[in-house]
Amino acid sequence: MTVRLAESPSRPPARRRPDPPRTGPFRRRSGRDRPNVLAGMGVALWLVIVALPLYALLIATVQRAENYTSSGPFTPPTDPTLGNYGKAIENGLLGFVLNTAIVTAAVVAIVVALASMTGFAIVRSRTRWTTGVFRVFLLGLAIPSQAVIVPVYLIIVQLGLYDTLTAIVLPTAAFALPVCVLILVGSMRDISEELYEAMALDGAGSVRTFLQLVVPMSRSGLSTIAVYAALQAWNGFLFPLILTQSPDKRLITMGLFEFQGQYRIDIPGLLAAVVLSTVPLFLVYLFARRSLVQGMMGVGGK
Amino acid sequence: MTSGTSSPVTGGAARSGPATGATGTGDSGTGVPAGGSRGRSARATGPRTGRPSAVWAVPGLLYFGIFAALPMVLVAYLSLTSWGGLGSPEFIGLQNWTRLANDPLMHRAVWLSLLLTVLTWAVQTPISLLLGVWAAGPQRNRAVLSALFFLPLLLSSAAIAIIWRALLDPNFGPLAWLGPVLGMPTVNLLGGSHSAFLVIVFVSSWQFIPLHMLLYQGGARQIPASLYQAAEIDGAGRLRAFWHITLPQLRHTITTSSVLMVVGALTYFETVLILTNGGPGTDTTIVPFLMYRAGFRSWELGYASAVAFTLVVVATLVALLLVRFTGFGSMRSTKEGL
Amino acid sequence: MRTPRLSSLAGAAALCLLATTACSGGEGGGGGDDRMHVWMYQDSLVVVQEGAVERFNEASETEAVIDQVPGDNYEERLRTAMGSSEQPDVFFNWGAGSIEPYVEQDMLHPLDDLLAEDPELAEAFIPSILESGKVDGVQYGIPLRGTQPVMIFYNNAVFEEVGVEPPETWEDILDLIDAFTEEDVIPFALAGGDPWTEQMWLQYLVDRIGGPEVFARIHGGDPEGWRDPAVLEAAEMVQDLVERGAFGDAYASVKYTEGGASTLLSEGRAAMHLMGSWEYSTHLDQAREFAENDLGYVEFPPIPGGTGDPANVVGNPTNYFSVTAESEHVEAALEFLKYTSQEEYVADMVENGEVPTTANAEEAVADSPNPEFAVFQYEMVRDAPHFQLSWDQALPPNVATPMVTEIESLFNGQITPEQFVDALAAL
Repeated sequence: MTVRLAESPSRPPARRRPDPPRTGPFRRRSGRDRPNVLAGMGVALWLVIVALPLYALLIATVQRAENYTSSGPFTPPTDPTLGNYGKAIENGLLGFVLNTAIVTAAVVAIVVALASMTGFAIVRSRTRWTTGVFRVFLLGLAIPSQAVIVPVYLIIVQLGLYDTLTAIVLPTAAFALPVCVLILVGSMRDISEELYEAMALDGAGSVRTFLQLVVPMSRSGLSTIAVYAALQAWNGFLFPLILTQSPDKRLITMGLFEFQGQYRIDIPGLLAAVVLSTVPLFLVYLFARRSLVQGMMGVGGK
Repeated sequence: MTSGTSSPVTGGAARSGPATGATGTGDSGTGVPAGGSRGRSARATGPRTGRPSAVWAVPGLLYFGIFAALPMVLVAYLSLTSWGGLGSPEFIGLQNWTRLANDPLMHRAVWLSLLLTVLTWAVQTPISLLLGVWAAGPQRNRAVLSALFFLPLLLSSAAIAIIWRALLDPNFGPLAWLGPVLGMPTVNLLGGSHSAFLVIVFVSSWQFIPLHMLLYQGGARQIPASLYQAAEIDGAGRLRAFWHITLPQLRHTITTSSVLMVVGALTYFETVLILTNGGPGTDTTIVPFLMYRAGFRSWELGYASAVAFTLVVVATLVALLLVRFTGFGSMRSTKEGL
Repeated sequence: MRTPRLSSLAGAAALCLLATTACSGGEGGGGGDDRMHVWMYQDSLVVVQEGAVERFNEASETEAVIDQVPGDNYEERLRTAMGSSEQPDVFFNWGAGSIEPYVEQDMLHPLDDLLAEDPELAEAFIPSILESGKVDGVQYGIPLRGTQPVMIFYNNAVFEEVGVEPPETWEDILDLIDAFTEEDVIPFALAGGDPWTEQMWLQYLVDRIGGPEVFARIHGGDPEGWRDPAVLEAAEMVQDLVERGAFGDAYASVKYTEGGASTLLSEGRAAMHLMGSWEYSTHLDQAREFAENDLGYVEFPPIPGGTGDPANVVGNPTNYFSVTAESEHVEAALEFLKYTSQEEYVADMVENGEVPTTANAEEAVADSPNPEFAVFQYEMVRDAPHFQLSWDQALPPNVATPMVTEIESLFNGQITPEQFVDALAAL
């Protein structure tokens, strides 16, 4: 992700969008002149690899458990049922979704607030140690959150936060910070000096400059980090696994993990829960596809 | 390497404290700089430019320090202790480290992690690069297919692992039906030493190729069309254009994507936990899983910390290489120009 | 000019913190509520404890609630919670070895006074079973479940179809393996994804070949005990079984906790299943028709030349409830423990196919939905000179975890019996 920052300060996503038709490989030529058979075959193969499991997944979820093994994975059932979805809701999936939403919102709020302030200081402050701060975050990129689960557990227990959603929020946000700071630094550097000077002539202090210039101007960066932070929270597994236990603190990932034992060999039921758990993100994808994709492109974070 | 890894972090964090205080007192006074280079430089540009004081970085740094940097330091300390999760850690010196050096399971885990990293890279890079370049095209069907290819990204790692576990179940999943159709009575992919490992590689590819494809798609879109037009005038074919224009132009994207893959592969966890639980035997017990097993199953949290610290060192090495390759220096020079 | 800027900055920071704490306040920690949390291992037997909680809540001012923890990671969850301030008030465990670490840290409430004050409770249980709830002579656990010996379950319908009889000797077992593999039936369902189920085979084999002394030595802390010839012989027999196809060829990814092995048996895809007595309740819950009509059971047969008493049993004598010392509901928790000896509780256990560990079990089992099975199980335990607690429960987790993995590797044919012994002796 840093690479992108390094190479693209002059081309933030927002400005890149309008002109794709002009640039890019193989436009015109290959697209029109002759079909790329090899590429077509490769893409078709990948389509099968992606779509077939997803198709089998969806078919399975409307299957009755007792028919599942015998009927084959690719034949749509003659008597489809939505019972599996109902069962997932009965088993408390919506509560998990709610918990996940709370955690995600909190993580995004913390990350956006802290990363934007830090980014502002790094980009605009004239002191030498902000370079040091930048380096700290750069190194922070490398800390895999998995590797510090033991001390994080210790700290959370000492804070008396074990088995609270806060216990998940705090470290998740902290580990999302480095990437987000770097992304924001990249996008804040693109704000031109003249704009700052105009603000200064206006007599704006740093708070006003921040709120009226920096925040609006780094919107695309902010939405990127919001997407990144949200995905981190949404996908989090190890923190919830170790730092919470009670059913009313379960996030979606944990809920699904525990459903495995609860559903036993009721694979259609389990898969319905999996599918249902993706609905919120799917809705985001439907309605905010562009920012989601741009966010992921910009971040490249897992 | 070890001390070099952690000290910049702590050093930075520690330095931030007093610096903050100084700036703070200076600020809350009459506005006259309290002395020191910081105050002077701030005044040199004048407060009217709306430059933030370094205090702005403090909340973020402090927060990051407590929940990310402090744990790093703690993990180093805990690796020198014996701790079962109850009571207090007990200092035992380098015992965990000598044990780590001689633990065949750790050696194997390191080997498996390396293998996984290499395979991940070798499988995912070409596929996502080709797909990404393809998807950068403007045609309508590409947009539709790209949207479809995006779908795995909407699933969490846990969800993906659960799906594949169900699909690959030899007795109760599709394979129980498909196996006999293909003439194989039992297809037990998750139960075989090599096949289980390859399943991990496959599932992680299935999960992450869409992401890397997006990266390459973004990268390919930025290649100026003029380069291709020039190549066309020269009569270069599609293959040559790809080789001589697309690939070199994507080199930064390749680095980014590769680094992400490497760090990702080093830290795979839930996929392994859910799909194979580290098995069969220990055949998919990669380093992060070994850490989890040592820590939260054997309750040797000190030893688990030693394993974890090894992971941190490796990941930091990767990050340093990243800094090297991607020209962090150039970023600083940009900053200098501000 | 600078001062307001700073203060608003501080304000922003404060807001962030507030957001965080507000968040935590809103969620309210699990232990933060006023209820008494009773942790149970999640399986089909929990209905009995749920009944007890219901009765308890009617009578008591304290509200009790059962937290079902998935079996797959029950012990991890328990220990992470025990290390925090959100401990359960009452929790399920395997007695002796499994609660030792907590006793060492003075985290459990001693139950001696409870038993002294309420002699009826003390007398309600079979003394030897109660004894296993002690650590260093102090009572910390009260039996909460039926006894859980491991035995061979079989599918009668499959046996009839193939035209064979249930095994009585080791020879029979080997013959049956051949008979079933020929018919494309898996002779023994095995949940290799949960290696503690594979451990049952080794436990029986070692006990039958060398007697309980072999493991007693290992349990005593002597890893060289693994070098006893009985362990090697048992491992070789396992290898032989695997090679004969006793477990089919897809066992490595079958999970017990997800019901895989049990379903193979009830669907007739496997003929037999070596499992703890709870298997009966599992089938009663998941495949009632099968449990009532076709589920058979026999004891693990003797091994030719073995010196162990063939009447010995392995498994879990029972499970126990312990009370945490820092619980806010110690009084209520102690009161709750008494429910485990009440008539309704025992009746519920019996109805669920369990054989209680109360002294009156013999009369109680007459009301079992399957009295024959209940009596069989009861006599099996009563007549056993030795009841071996599951190895992974008897040994500390830092030995048990790698041991179980080695067992898994042995069953998967990834290591030879010799390597198996060497690996265990090195633990």
